[in-house]
Amino acid sequence: MSTTPAEAVRVVVVDDHRMFRTGVKAELEEVAGDRIDIIGEAPDVDTAIAVIRRDLPDVVLLDVHLPGGNGRGGVDVLAGCVAVDSRRGRPVRFLALSVSDAAEDVIAVIRAGARGYVTKTITGTDLANAVCRVADGDAVFSPRLAGFVLDAFGAAAGEIAEVDEELDRLSQREREVMRLIARGYQYKEVAKELFISIKTVETHVSSVLRKLQLSSRHELTAWAMGRKLV
Amino acid sequence: MPTPYAAAPAAAPPRLVRPLAGRQVAGVCAGLAEHLGVPVRVIRLIMLVLLAMGPGVVAYVLLWALTPEVEATLGKPGAPGEQRSLFDGPMLVIAGAVVAFVGVAWLAQRSGVDLRLGVLLPLLVIAVGTVIGLSQLDAARRTRWLAGSGWQTAARLGLGVIVTAGGILALVTRDAPISQTWDIIVAVIVVLIGAGLLVAPWGVRVLAELRAEQAARARADERADMAAHLHDSVLQTLALIQRQSGDSARVATLARAQERELRSWLYGGGAAEASNLSGALAEVIGEVEAAHGIPVDLVMTGDREMDDGTQALVRAVREALANAVRHGRPPVSVYVEAGPTGVEAFIRDHGPGLDMEVIPEDRLGVRESIIGRMTRHGGAASSRRLDPGTEWSLTLPPPQGATT
Repeated sequence: MSTTPAEAVRVVVVDDHRMFRTGVKAELEEVAGDRIDIIGEAPDVDTAIAVIRRDLPDVVLLDVHLPGGNGRGGVDVLAGCVAVDSRRGRPVRFLALSVSDAAEDVIAVIRAGARGYVTKTITGTDLANAVCRVADGDAVFSPRLAGFVLDAFGAAAGEIAEVDEELDRLSQREREVMRLIARGYQYKEVAKELFISIKTVETHVSSVLRKLQLSSRHELTAWAMGRKLV
Repeated sequence: MPTPYAAAPAAAPPRLVRPLAGRQVAGVCAGLAEHLGVPVRVIRLIMLVLLAMGPGVVAYVLLWALTPEVEATLGKPGAPGEQRSLFDGPMLVIAGAVVAFVGVAWLAQRSGVDLRLGVLLPLLVIAVGTVIGLSQLDAARRTRWLAGSGWQTAARLGLGVIVTAGGILALVTRDAPISQTWDIIVAVIVVLIGAGLLVAPWGVRVLAELRAEQAARARADERADMAAHLHDSVLQTLALIQRQSGDSARVATLARAQERELRSWLYGGGAAEASNLSGALAEVIGEVEAAHGIPVDLVMTGDREMDDGTQALVRAVREALANAVRHGRPPVSVYVEAGPTGVEAFIRDHGPGLDMEVIPEDRLGVRESIIGRMTRHGGAASSRRLDPGTEWSLTLPPPQGATT
């Protein structure tokens, strides 16, 4: 990990519920005050874009459902912050945070550019780890997102890519990683289970994220079209 | 159920009634004034002029006969049951009009006044036809009109048009020879069609407005439905949580149960899913959570109809979960994958771990209800220790006769 205590991850929290923003701030400061520095917050799409463009954070914790903008919530924030770099010169990374179980909401923000998705019931420690992982450019998949991915790519029904580069299907290894994440395994547990390194697990997850964002499988494009993304 | 969002009924002009209070003779003018929203003095002046000219007599008598009397003072609704629609029976209107007109005309002719019946009669017929036609636009009937229960309405409208056309024809062909009548009939039809075309845009607009009104009402109903649901579920739970705020485990259980219920209501298709594996699993997990107060995360891919095999799987999952929440530690998660090669289920906790070797033989729960049950249905079950915790994995073959 390249993040050292000297340079804490600068985070902006975007959520329309003030109580939730306060809660997340308090929790992250308590469990990871040395690693994470919350520099700003925003309650709606337009404020969020302004704050992000002004403060140039490393990571944005982004609620999926937000008022303002064109009515597409977090997707509008992502669209308004394309190619914005953080103070360290790396792209601003987005981690979606949602109470919604609806697949189309989750897939929409991922396809709009978010690096991961976690539910709001996540523990403070897990959230802090997820923020640091996203800051390093890795992808963060919750068990539920892994389940969505297996469903959307037809992996549960036995569809497996012939070559790794194929965008519309998961490779055998990617499917195994996704299945273990869906079973509630941490990255290090996945690595141990498959006799691979944590870095390799992260590579597989990032590759799945890329497929999720670029694939034109109809399950994904249908969702995207439902959210007027295409 | 009454809710703060219950849709208010659309405001309609007051019904035409004859009030007992504030009347001069029979309450006709007072009632008309209230109905039309015009000062009663203006109505009375017009009525006096009409009465002096003759036709007012007919109008007054008709109104008096057809308008219900109410005891309420003006501006307040009358008691229910004694109100009657002005146009309840168009046939009654026509009959009354004809009788009254014939009587008055007969009296007038007898006393030597030339009423020019040839002009007056058709005019009256036109008036009656128009009234019947227009009565269909009465505010109270618009919804029924839109709802489409309307062969009766259409018949009345048609009748109005026919009577009106007849009146115009009679008026125009009064002294013409038969040979010209056909030309005139055609001319009348053309005029009527022209009038229809002129009125059509207005009619379409009214129809569109009414559709919009109905959609708005549907939205209001939906909102009221949601408010009622939130009131019944969320507010009650919040009240319970406030009362038991000292007991954090109980609060967590309540919040979790409410969350699950609200989620299934917001995103789920409802009870129809219970016949599928996903629905049955969600139900079982809800029961385990409610009984033990420990949250369980379910991730499911694919789905399958319930049969004997999946029934056994659901029961085994429940038993494994009960073990996990009793002897393990949260987070507890369930992953179920249903595909063409069968169903696989994984139940994981983060407790100290359960060693199969040290399980006494009399622990019927694990041996019989998980492993035995799965093997009897052609599947398998095993558990293993992880770094923290235990993971059960259950497998079930595809259903008999499946094409794989």
